[in-house]
Amino acid sequence: MALYWKPVYRFIRLKFRKDNEDAKDLTQGFFTSALERDFFARFDPAKASFRTYLRMAVERFAANQNAASNRQKRGGDIRFSPVEDYAATAESPEQIFEREWQRQLFELALDDLRAHCAASGKQLQLGIFEAYDLAVNEDERPSYLSLAARHGIPETAVTNHLAWARRTLRGLVTERLRGVTSGEQELRKELRRVWI
Amino acid sequence: MNKILAGLLFGLIFGAIDGATSWFYPETRGLVGGIMVGSSFKGMLVGVLAGWFAQKVQSTRWGIVVGSVLGLLFAYGVAAMEATKEKSHYLEIMLPGFLVGAIVGFLTQRVGTPRVAERREA
Amino acid sequence: MDLSDSVLEHLRSAVALPDLSGTRYELESEIGRGGLGVVYRAHDRELDRPAALKVLDSALAGEAQLIAGLEHPAIVPIYETGTLPDGRAFYAMKLVTGARLDHYLAGTPSLAERLRILRRVAEALAFAHSRGIIHRDLKPQNVMVGEFGEVYLMDWGVEAVVGTPAFCAPERPLDRRSDIYALGATLEFALPASAPPALRAIASKAKSIDPAARYPDVPALLADLERFQTGLAVEAWREPLSYRLRRFGSRNAVLLWLLAAYAGIKFLLFFLRNL
Repeated sequence: MALYWKPVYRFIRLKFRKDNEDAKDLTQGFFTSALERDFFARFDPAKASFRTYLRMAVERFAANQNAASNRQKRGGDIRFSPVEDYAATAESPEQIFEREWQRQLFELALDDLRAHCAASGKQLQLGIFEAYDLAVNEDERPSYLSLAARHGIPETAVTNHLAWARRTLRGLVTERLRGVTSGEQELRKELRRVWI
Repeated sequence: MNKILAGLLFGLIFGAIDGATSWFYPETRGLVGGIMVGSSFKGMLVGVLAGWFAQKVQSTRWGIVVGSVLGLLFAYGVAAMEATKEKSHYLEIMLPGFLVGAIVGFLTQRVGTPRVAERREA
Repeated sequence: MDLSDSVLEHLRSAVALPDLSGTRYELESEIGRGGLGVVYRAHDRELDRPAALKVLDSALAGEAQLIAGLEHPAIVPIYETGTLPDGRAFYAMKLVTGARLDHYLAGTPSLAERLRILRRVAEALAFAHSRGIIHRDLKPQNVMVGEFGEVYLMDWGVEAVVGTPAFCAPERPLDRRSDIYALGATLEFALPASAPPALRAIASKAKSIDPAARYPDVPALLADLERFQTGLAVEAWREPLSYRLRRFGSRNAVLLWLLAAYAGIKFLLFFLRNL
C-alpha cells in the first residue's frame, strides 16, 4: 500500500488540480472504496499492468466524485491552486502517474538501502553514494577524485563503493517491484520500464 | 557415355539431317541417299574429333570454334571433290557444314562425361 | 525525502548500467535493445579489441552456452559468458559492424544480392538445426549485413518476446518447422515487388500455415532456391506452359541459336539459288 499512496495522491493533485487537502481526502476515499470493493482481487494481469489498472480506477473514481460534487455546487467551481514543482507539462496523465510510481519505488528502495547500510555498518559506501548519485544538480556532483580525497581512500575504492551501492539499490528496487507484480514475466516487463 | 561416343552420335544424326536437306534441291534429289551417307560419315568424323577435343579441353566457346573449323574443313573437302562438275556448291556445302560442326562441337562440350585420365595417382 | 525529477532520472540510468567490475571489459556505449536485454559496445582490456556485450535481464545463460558451441561463418562467435556482480547474466561476442537487413534492403540491392544473403541465412539455420538448435526468432531485424557483405544471424534461441510477431509461426511450441516459416517470411520480406513468381512461391510454401505443407527441412528450401537460380523448375510452383518454354529457351539459348542459324542459312541459300 505504501507504494501506491503517494503516486495516487500526486496523480490526483496534478490531473484534477486539487489542493493538498482535497487531494488527500480523495486519495483516502479511493483506497477505502477500493478495499470495500475488493479492487485488488479483481485484477487480471493478462489484460494490463497493475499500474495501468490502478490509474484507470483512480480516474474513474475521481471523475465520479467530481461529477457528484459538481452536481452539488451547481455551476461548478473547480478550485485551481498552484502546484509547486510541476509546471504545465505536455505529459499525459499516464506518464505522470508512471513517473510518480517510479519515484515512490525509488524512494522506498532508498529507505531500504539506508536501513541496510545502518544495519551492516556500510556508512562510508552510503555517504559516497549519496554525495554522488543523489546530488541534485550535475554541477554539484563531486568528482571521484574529490570524493577519494574527502574520505582518504583511493579512487578505485570510490568506484567500487559506488558500484556496490548501485548494485544493492538495483536489487532492492527489484524486490520492491516483485512485491507488487504478479509473476516473473510481469516483473520483467515492469523492470524494463523502470530502467533507462 | 563418354564425349567421343556422344560426338559420334551427334555427328551421325546431324550429318544425316544435313544430308537429307539436299532433297530440296532438284538437282541433287536423286542422290539423296548417297549424300546422306556421305554427310553422316563426315558428321561422325567431325563428332569424334570434337568429342576428343571436348575431353581434353572444357570450354563451350572453344568447343564451338573447334567444331565449326572441323565442319568447315571437311565440308570444303567434300565441296572440292564435287567441284569437278560445272556448278560449284562450295557455299551450300560449307556454310551448313560450318554450322553443323558448331552444333556438334557445342553438344560434345555439354553432353557426356569426360573419361577419367588413365594416369591417375592411386 | 523527495526525489527530484533529475535525480530520479539519474538513478534510473545509473542503476541500469551494467557493472563490469571483475570482468575484463570496459563499458563504452549502448548499441541497442533487444528482446531479452541491452547490447553494449565494450572494450576487451586483455585482448585489446572491441566486443559487444549483451546483458540479459533474466538468467537465460544456458542458451548462450549452446550457441557458443556453434562455429559457422554466419553465426556470431561468442567469446565468453558470465554473470555480472549484480546478478545479471551476460555474454560477450564479436562486435559486428554493418546494417540490419531491414535497413540494408532500403538501399535497393539487386535480386542476386538479396538471394545471396538469404542463402547465407538459410545455411546458418541448416547448420544450427543439424546441431539441434532452433533459432525461434528469425526475422530481418536479426540479420546483420557487414561492410564487405558478411552475413550474420543473431539473437538465437529467444522466443519472440517483443515486437514483430509477423515473422513467427502460429504453432506452439516452436520447432524446426517454425524456423522454416520465419525463413520464408524473411525471404518474402526481402523480395522486391518485381520478384519472379517462382521465388514468391518458394516463400509462400515455406510460410504455409500448416507445418506439414512447408519444406521438410532447410536444405530442401535451399535446393529449391538453387534450382531457381540455375533456371530449373522450382518445386514450390507449378509453372504455366509459357514460363516453362521461356525457361527452356534461356537455358538452351546457345543451342537454339545455332539451330536457328543453321535453318536460316539453309533457307537463305535455297532462295538465293533460285533467284
